[in-house]
Amino acid sequence: MRSRPGGRAVSIPYVPWEPVDPLGVPRAAYVHVPFCVHRCGYCDFTVVAGRDDLISAYLDALACELSRLESPQPVETLFLGGGTPTHLPERSLERLLELVREWFPLSSGGEFSVEANPVGLSPAKLGLLADAGVNRVSLGVQSFDTQSLATLERDHSPELARQTVEAVRDRFPECSVDLIFGVPGQSLVTWQTTLETAIALGPTHLSAYGLTFEKGTAFWGRRLKGTLASIPDELERSQYELAMELLSACGFGQYELSNYARAGHESRHNATYWANGPYFAAGPGAARYVKGTRETNHRSTTTWIKSTLAGRTALSSQEKLSLEDRARETLMLGLRRTAGVFFEAFQKQTGFALEEIAKPLLARDWLRDCLAIDEERIALTREGRCVADSVVAALWE
Amino acid sequence: MDPRFIRNFSIVAHIDHGKSTLSDQLLLQTGTITQREFKDQLLDDLDVERERGITVKARAVTIKYVHHGQPYELNFVDTPGHVDFHYEVSRSLAACEGALLLVDAFQGVQAQTVANAYAALEANLAIIPCLNKIDLPIVRTDEVLEEMRTVLGFNPEEVLRTSGRSGIGIDDVLEAIVERVPAPTGLAADPLRALIFDSKYDNYRGVVIYVRVKDGVVRKGSKIRLMKKGTHHEVLEVGQFRPMNTPCDELGPGQVGYIVAGIKNLSLVHIGDTVTEASRPATEPLPGYKPPQQMVFCGMFPIEATDFEKLREELGRLALNDASFSFIPETSDALGFGFRCGFLGMLHMEIIQQRLEKEADIDLIQTAPNVTYELLKKDQTVVTVDNPQEVSWDGTTEEFREPIVKVTFIVPADCIGPIMQLCSDRRGTYKSTEYLGPARAQLIYELPLAEVIYDMHDKLKSITRGYGTMDYELIGFRAADLVKLDILVKQNKVDALASIVHRSLAERRGRALCKRLKEEISKHMFEVPIQAAIGARVIARETISAMRKNVTAKCYGGDITRKRKLLQKQKEGKKRLKQFGEVEIPQKAFLAVLDIGDE
Repeated sequence: MRSRPGGRAVSIPYVPWEPVDPLGVPRAAYVHVPFCVHRCGYCDFTVVAGRDDLISAYLDALACELSRLESPQPVETLFLGGGTPTHLPERSLERLLELVREWFPLSSGGEFSVEANPVGLSPAKLGLLADAGVNRVSLGVQSFDTQSLATLERDHSPELARQTVEAVRDRFPECSVDLIFGVPGQSLVTWQTTLETAIALGPTHLSAYGLTFEKGTAFWGRRLKGTLASIPDELERSQYELAMELLSACGFGQYELSNYARAGHESRHNATYWANGPYFAAGPGAARYVKGTRETNHRSTTTWIKSTLAGRTALSSQEKLSLEDRARETLMLGLRRTAGVFFEAFQKQTGFALEEIAKPLLARDWLRDCLAIDEERIALTREGRCVADSVVAALWE
Repeated sequence: MDPRFIRNFSIVAHIDHGKSTLSDQLLLQTGTITQREFKDQLLDDLDVERERGITVKARAVTIKYVHHGQPYELNFVDTPGHVDFHYEVSRSLAACEGALLLVDAFQGVQAQTVANAYAALEANLAIIPCLNKIDLPIVRTDEVLEEMRTVLGFNPEEVLRTSGRSGIGIDDVLEAIVERVPAPTGLAADPLRALIFDSKYDNYRGVVIYVRVKDGVVRKGSKIRLMKKGTHHEVLEVGQFRPMNTPCDELGPGQVGYIVAGIKNLSLVHIGDTVTEASRPATEPLPGYKPPQQMVFCGMFPIEATDFEKLREELGRLALNDASFSFIPETSDALGFGFRCGFLGMLHMEIIQQRLEKEADIDLIQTAPNVTYELLKKDQTVVTVDNPQEVSWDGTTEEFREPIVKVTFIVPADCIGPIMQLCSDRRGTYKSTEYLGPARAQLIYELPLAEVIYDMHDKLKSITRGYGTMDYELIGFRAADLVKLDILVKQNKVDALASIVHRSLAERRGRALCKRLKEEISKHMFEVPIQAAIGARVIARETISAMRKNVTAKCYGGDITRKRKLLQKQKEGKKRLKQFGEVEIPQKAFLAVLDIGDE
């Protein structure tokens, strides 16, 4: 692949991109399960901790929301995220699985993912998941370092994390491990150890996210007060670069900014997001994209339950994008994929020429090192991946 | 109204010595307002004033009071308390024959106590000294009385004991006003002469003129003439402040009130001008006032160029009711079209800026304030410059002069050393020391205004643990070795960041400024060098390294909207940023010059 003058040549995998139809019937579904044992200091997802009394009302509301689909919607990928879906007691978990399978029957060969945390993930619950057809479990391990786990306010030990990864790996065809770098106090070496430990456990998929400080979280407040500091840019960058190098050297190809997989084990569900394809969603705070309209459910679990049970919609936002905005989003998401965005597929999918939509990026001299361009596509270079948000933000300037 | 039964008075005090609370009590106890109408600090009717607990504009109110069976009309003309508004104090005093001087029974005589007392003496007013807040749990009665004797020359016997909070001594105050303040003189038969001490624009009635009648009578239907411009108007209404505007039949000698004469343009009405009769004009106007002196200037630029006209309208609206604020269009290479605005002082500037932000929805970039300079040209003409951009170094200038103020400090005696150090660091010239008592002293220095306005007050407060106070007055311009300090961001000179500094301080300031800018300007995708230079000579440099890592981790379970909005917010967060070439400089950076410290 040719990079622009002055740009750095990097190896960029070639994965062809089939255009998707955002107006077509979704073939992916996301269901949000907000329950957790406690809320970790960095978490800004829709989560309720210590409110297990709401579980039964949640399931009633979910049934109610799903029934608005009118008829079961067959999907190719189904994703239960959270929160901690596996925090539900066995009987409730069973009911959840039944509900989602009823409304989102999985086509043969489909991907059925569930997010889980090590604590409380009993063999019995794993059995329930397997029996329900779950074939991919994504584990919130975050770190194998005691100190980092404590900083992140995770409730499991490195040992329990190890055992859980092994148990999942032995029982499910796809096992993914989530890790976080950029943790205050985390050195390059402890991060390397975490990565190596994860690799050695033999999952099929790894996600490595940089810690972000989100408004409204405890971490945000602590950083404002000065009791918690983000790690230096340079160190965080080194950690990210280490992840890219180490994982690919060990056979986990980077196919997205934060995601790595053994060949053929990439997450198919997330691929829909990155292709800017349509998907169903249910549950508090869940986001759907159906018929060209983006909707997000209310982020308060209690509000969502109340409105939904009362027969009202519980949306916090709804927007129908203009064709051009849709194209811009397609580029914003597509650049997250290491393979980049293809001129031909982009034009087919959005009706816009890629070079037109990407103009604000191409016009900037300082983005020269960040973009790699050839006859077929535009992709982020390694430099570009490190500062992907700044690159993409230029689209709106 | 027989002038023998009129008394006109002001209350002057150092800030926070209880002026507003005592004023409220006077109105309450005389039944001028009822408890129901009572709003905290009634006389401060501007939001910003209420928020800050300070009075900015002069206000007046008429009090009916019966003394030994005889009804009196007491006109109370309020005054601002802050040093910036000294000019307005003198305006109010000129409308009175007497003044209450409040001194906090714990804090004692402070810098503005002295300044205000002298202003009242200069205006030939009878002064009624009051030891206020006498009900505080800790008071220093004897020491404060001693200070009042030493510094101001009052006998302890003539000092009243008062408290606005609990209403102590209000009767004594009212009695003293009647007995000690002279009745106004002036004859009803003489041609009308009324001093304009304030004015206000009312959307429905036009300009409301606040007057103190000296001679003659003004009534509804009178034809009046404003002496300065010679314009004629017919009086539609006269009235008094009770405390709301209340129409009355006429205003005679000694009375304070307002005139509505259908004047649509506030610029016709000059504060300090004299109102007379059109048919029988007075020969001589009243002495009037010195025009207000703007001490501080800064640039205000809309971030969106399209807001320029809106900003002009808003500034015009503010200037309508504030004659001491000025603005003229200005162009900056860096910031585009905006306005150069003049203020009485830093507080005045902050107040105007807050009003703009609150009342108009305009995102502004404000440049660091500067003082006025004088350039003595080779041809011996003197040019006044209130913008660092206008200072040219083309060899036509013989002398560069800066404004000098006389600063009066009142500080605890154990702080004299550090204050003297501070003044000498700020290029001050020592004048005198006077002890007010064993523990407190008054220090007088002459200092360049530029060294005083930014943070002198804060420094004073921190050195004296809050006990020191200061006041200053302009005494003139003096030649100084000044240079223009330019700032270059990524090799581009940013004119709006330039400042005038003394040569001896230039290097230190330049270094400190570069350092502060490095903190204020966020990382870019490329290196951003920041340099300070005098002419072509670079005297300091800092470099902001390029951004190395910026990836928002997750895609939020498909919440693309959120993700996009976060990215857009990066953009919106830049609302208060201005783009210079490829570098974005936040609004705050333009004020960085103010708090670069004294390293």
